[in-house]
Amino acid sequence: MSVWEGIGRVVKVAEGEAVTTETEAVGESGAVEESGDTDAPDRPPARSRRRRFLLGGVTVVLVLAGAGLLVKAQELRAAPAAANHALTDTEATTRVNGDVSSALAKIFSYTPDGTGATGRSARELLGGRAARQYTQLFAQVRERVAEQRVTLTTQSVRSGVVSLDGDSAQVLVFLDQTARRGDHKPVTSAAQLSVTARLRGDHWQIVDIKAR
Amino acid sequence: MPRTRPHHLLRAALVARPLLVAALALLLVAGGFAARSGVSWYRAAHDDSAAYAVERDNALSAGEQSVQNLNTLDHNSLERGLDLWESSTTGELHSQLVAGRAKFEEQVRQAKTVSTAKVLSGAVTELDDRAGRARVLIALRVTVRAPGGEASDKDSRMLGELTRTEGHWKLSALGQAPVGDTSAD
Repeated sequence: MSVWEGIGRVVKVAEGEAVTTETEAVGESGAVEESGDTDAPDRPPARSRRRRFLLGGVTVVLVLAGAGLLVKAQELRAAPAAANHALTDTEATTRVNGDVSSALAKIFSYTPDGTGATGRSARELLGGRAARQYTQLFAQVRERVAEQRVTLTTQSVRSGVVSLDGDSAQVLVFLDQTARRGDHKPVTSAAQLSVTARLRGDHWQIVDIKAR
Repeated sequence: MPRTRPHHLLRAALVARPLLVAALALLLVAGGFAARSGVSWYRAAHDDSAAYAVERDNALSAGEQSVQNLNTLDHNSLERGLDLWESSTTGELHSQLVAGRAKFEEQVRQAKTVSTAKVLSGAVTELDDRAGRARVLIALRVTVRAPGGEASDKDSRMLGELTRTEGHWKLSALGQAPVGDTSAD
């Protein structure tokens, strides 16, 4: 909400208030007489002028105070800490963590004969730069995987949301990757990834991956 | 006598004192505006989630700095480096560092190593604002330079626990995220 929209809305509300005040004045007897009185020519001009100044002064003070408070409120809301909803929006934070972790586990896990399935799920789970990088990388790996009978299993060990703002998020993920080549003993290695994700519909799609 | 209708009253007032009526209307609008702004400011200033977000960022920056401190040590200025270690920590971790200081000092003095660390990325995974407890994940690159040898880089993934003491977040536990241990607690 911009400052000006706020003011516009306030004016509308205030107009609504003005109408009610008018109707309230119905029962007050002598209201007309009083307004007639103030019009009397023999009324001391000094008093009228003072009242005018007071009225104008109060109006100006109210407008200034209102504008000042509105600016302060905007500043508070636009603070970088408040704009980041990591942990403050627990539901969305859990969602991003879950979607990103399970997506990484899927795209970095394959069996010698199941690379087709991995590639298909990657097309669904990845977008943008991550999709392009992955397609390149996977094309290179694919032949070797079948040839050397490699099985890779990836698990997300821990993940944390670095930033979350609307439909964009940064997630830090610690992964364990276990690779088994043929009949050799499986080897587990650690990986750290910085992931950028975007909300597509009701799912977070990975659009960039950086190894850390 | 017929009752004075509101629009008659308004018309009479408008005819008699058009400026006064306009000024009063303006005053009312200004009052409404000020009241709305006041409410908006009050809500923003007393927003719990905003305060929570600030605390989260405080915990993260303290966590990143402390983890970096604890992975930085120059054998030429051991005293200063280890003092920084102690001031970055609290609780059990602090006690461990204090207890092991003399032995560790001797080891580094002999090895003559210089370690520097860089935080690659960090995130808060848990924050209990009231209890003053937080957990962080930090991806770290440590560079160790041994005398005569080449500098070697090592990336590590750290899990830290922070405790708020006297308004400051300090590390109360620190360790590497275990590899191959699938039971994530």
